[in-house]
Amino acid sequence: MFRGRFFLFVQVFLCCLFLTISGCGKKEGSKSDESSIKVWHWMTDRQAAFEKLADQYYKETGVKVVFETYAPTDVYKNKITAAASGQLLPDIFNPLSDKRELASYIKAGFIANLNDEMNSGWKDVFFEKSLLQNMFEENNEWGVEPGYYGVPLDVSSLMIYYNKDLFAKAGLDPDNPPKTWKDFIEAGKKLRAAGIQPFVSGFGEAWLVGSFASSYQWNLFGKQGIIDTIEGKISYTDPRWVKIFELFEEMKENKMFASGIVTMINKDAERTFATGKAAMALNGSWGVNVYKSMNPSLQYGIMYPPSLPEAKYPLLVFGGDGSSMFVNAMSPNKDKAIAFLKWFTQREQQSFLAKETLNIPSNKESAQDLPEILKEFSKSIERTFDNLPMIESWQVTNYINTNLQSVIIGEKTPVQAAEEVQAEKERQMKVEK
Amino acid sequence: MNISPKEKTLNMMFIMPALVLFLVFNLYPLIRTFQLSFYQWNGIDKDMVFVGFAQYKHILFSNPAFWKSMLNAGYVTLLSLTLQNGLALLLAILVNRQIRGGNIYRVIFFLPPVLSGIVVGLIWKFVYDGNFGILNHFLISLGFDNFKDFAWLSEVKTSLSSVAVVHMWKGFGYGFIILLAGLQTIPIELYEAAEVDGADKWQQFKNITVPCMIPVFTLVTILTILGTMQIFDLIYSMTRGGPAGHTHVPITKIYEYMSNGEFGYSTAMAIIFGFVLLVVSFFQLYVSKKFNR
Amino acid sequence: MNSFKTKKQILDFITHAILLVVAVTCIFPVFWMLSSSLKTQEEIFTKMTLFPEVWQWGNYVDAFIKAEFGMYFLNSVIYTVVGVSAIVLITSMAAYGFARLEFWGKNFLFYLLISTLLIPIPGVFVPLYLLLKKLALLDTRTGLLLCYISGALAFGLFLLRSFFEDLPKEIEEAALIDGCSRFGIYWRIALPLAKPAIATLVILQCLAIWNEFLLALVVLQDKAKMPIQRGLMVFQGTFITDYPLLMAGLTIATIPIVIIYLLMQKHIVKGIAAGALKG
Repeated sequence: MFRGRFFLFVQVFLCCLFLTISGCGKKEGSKSDESSIKVWHWMTDRQAAFEKLADQYYKETGVKVVFETYAPTDVYKNKITAAASGQLLPDIFNPLSDKRELASYIKAGFIANLNDEMNSGWKDVFFEKSLLQNMFEENNEWGVEPGYYGVPLDVSSLMIYYNKDLFAKAGLDPDNPPKTWKDFIEAGKKLRAAGIQPFVSGFGEAWLVGSFASSYQWNLFGKQGIIDTIEGKISYTDPRWVKIFELFEEMKENKMFASGIVTMINKDAERTFATGKAAMALNGSWGVNVYKSMNPSLQYGIMYPPSLPEAKYPLLVFGGDGSSMFVNAMSPNKDKAIAFLKWFTQREQQSFLAKETLNIPSNKESAQDLPEILKEFSKSIERTFDNLPMIESWQVTNYINTNLQSVIIGEKTPVQAAEEVQAEKERQMKVEK
Repeated sequence: MNISPKEKTLNMMFIMPALVLFLVFNLYPLIRTFQLSFYQWNGIDKDMVFVGFAQYKHILFSNPAFWKSMLNAGYVTLLSLTLQNGLALLLAILVNRQIRGGNIYRVIFFLPPVLSGIVVGLIWKFVYDGNFGILNHFLISLGFDNFKDFAWLSEVKTSLSSVAVVHMWKGFGYGFIILLAGLQTIPIELYEAAEVDGADKWQQFKNITVPCMIPVFTLVTILTILGTMQIFDLIYSMTRGGPAGHTHVPITKIYEYMSNGEFGYSTAMAIIFGFVLLVVSFFQLYVSKKFNR
Repeated sequence: MNSFKTKKQILDFITHAILLVVAVTCIFPVFWMLSSSLKTQEEIFTKMTLFPEVWQWGNYVDAFIKAEFGMYFLNSVIYTVVGVSAIVLITSMAAYGFARLEFWGKNFLFYLLISTLLIPIPGVFVPLYLLLKKLALLDTRTGLLLCYISGALAFGLFLLRSFFEDLPKEIEEAALIDGCSRFGIYWRIALPLAKPAIATLVILQCLAIWNEFLLALVVLQDKAKMPIQRGLMVFQGTFITDYPLLMAGLTIATIPIVIIYLLMQKHIVKGIAAGALKG
């Protein structure tokens, strides 16, 4: 009867289908190819430049280097996570994680320690701060062997851009941006009076609003103070922390924030600044390129976040290393990979990259060849956050960022915000016991 | 009529391919996920720390933020069930009546689901923008000056509803075609017979359309509940869970915990969430079975 | 008599008004996407006009080349066509089985297979990745397809079973008496009658697979196997998004789906034409 035959036909059809498809797909081993070095990255706009350098390296040394892009960053991170679980990581990659997670990768044996190479002269080509971000100090919280692990490919920092034309329009001196907090607020008042939104940033992104607050944490507490806070010796209800929340409240009271700032991602904020809808923007050095592509005629300058008069320590900014790469400790090509990275970060290659992709190179000497405004940024690299032997738990950091947003929208007072953060800190410390 | 075991076995052949695929590709990850929820693990470490039900306990009793996110999702779901599906039904009925341009409307209404999430996010952010958004522009031109700088997505009161509107706008197309398919499956003969019997349009609707559509309604309702409770992309791209965490939904919370190295905890959250959805779905099925009499 | 006519006219007017308003909100984003794709990057930001000043048709050519659409397009077609065909076959067979046939553990198995609709596992790509690795299916088209097909099972089953259950039993019983095999009934009677539901499933699954991105990128490595979405990735740089080209690329990528929808939605309407009851 039909039943058997038709049925069989359907099942066979399905099988054939799968066989055909699997025949089409070659199973290329992802890391068993010993003669080439595999690099996974997320920087789509630099792929072309990377490939050019890879070709050059091949001509010089006969070693083949393959760059593969996986973007955007969250997809890249997922790919790395999956590959790690399957022990199929490439020769060079970056887990795009915080120090804690990086420590896990190192302890699991996925990332090579570069002390030997770095200490024999390699580290001298870099901006010191950019190396520190990828270093683990003695007695670090995670028990990782101290030393160098990451190789910075470029550097960046967070500064406040300001629109010179809008400043002039509001009666402010375009060549003399505010240097103290008081001047900063005064400038904001004048801009508002002239119908201009004073300040914008991607505060919808937790890390960005957090970094602005962190600058003032460094300003008021200094390195040891921060360590003490993380260890619980200084409470988040300390008047200095309340002061940090008060800064945001003051900005809000003086209508300095652009409309909708708490749900803006950085791209939105960049658009707002580029189209002249806000006079100041907290953004990173990459902004130079972004603004150029959106509005090449924009006239702007950069300034540091204004320091507080009562602060005892220098104000530092978020930044240091921009993009870094790590070497897979389990890779059979480990030494070749390290050799490649050494070549990759030499002055010539770095200058080439800087010109092609308009990022600030991690090689100190290359920074000399940069266009004006990027050169200014490169000077600020020295004033980026110091390295810390420990970091705050992510739950507490989350609470800080959320409460900063609460203060910005006027939902909580600085004191309430500080108390909330402290409450979470105490909960976390109990858990850690 | 009793079915022989031989026939029963042959009948199982119908579900074999699906079952095999399921066992390998769906059940295995599910079981692995379930296992993971009893461990504290960050996805990389070689050792996983066994914590038993501790994570479940924490989620149930010490994580108010998670339950608030559940309420948020519930709110959007309620809006969807009423407004979104109401609109979809209305449109399906209207288009079903063979009106002029019905074909074109059928195509246009399915455009929002087809559009890439990137475009949807960009456009609607543009609509809601405080400074140069279309919505404010429109309201101000009508005389509502207090909307001058109103940031729909950043104000606590309007943020979630604003995202809900976008979700409903993007989603009604799905309900629309499923309901339309349902309406089209009702045999015309039933209507013709009723017309001959002297029933008017409203009676036809009440006595033919509604009863025939109950299974489809149930289907759309459950799919809406499941789909909307699991909302993620829109929230993530429009507010990132802000302002100050007020638009978090369960999946953004799960994602947050996962991105911060709490693999085990986040899978426990997923399981609890799944359980809540299960209860809701069963309740929904029970209610509709009662309706189906 | 007159009042009846006006009442109908008013109803018609309201009907069209509602349909029109909704239609406009649906079309506007498409229009915006098209208009942006024909502008230059600067224009998008500095001028908020509806129409581009100079229509940059070149954007489409650039987008096609830069995103290497030629290569990726074929892959997307393979994944969608093979994937959806398999999904329809496998789920309709199973749905029919659950709706009409008797066997052990029927109810339990059904709810089990549906259960994945309930549990959202954002991290599911990790166990899937490891599974594919064990089966030596990483970086293969088959592996990705199997993930797609199994991902659609719950939804397809759920959708189709209720349609199958809803079909009038008389026809099938008549066919049984006539000596038709169970499979024959499925293939020749139930499937055609369920055309609206199947067409719906086809549309929704085509959309899902065509737009899928994460799993493809995690499971595949060989660029030659990547779908269209990977091509679009190129326009979203780390910091700078090339909006005009991205919009052009998205437009190109959306056209096939719209075509599929146009083709399929006719079946949703025509489903009734089987005229089965008369037989």
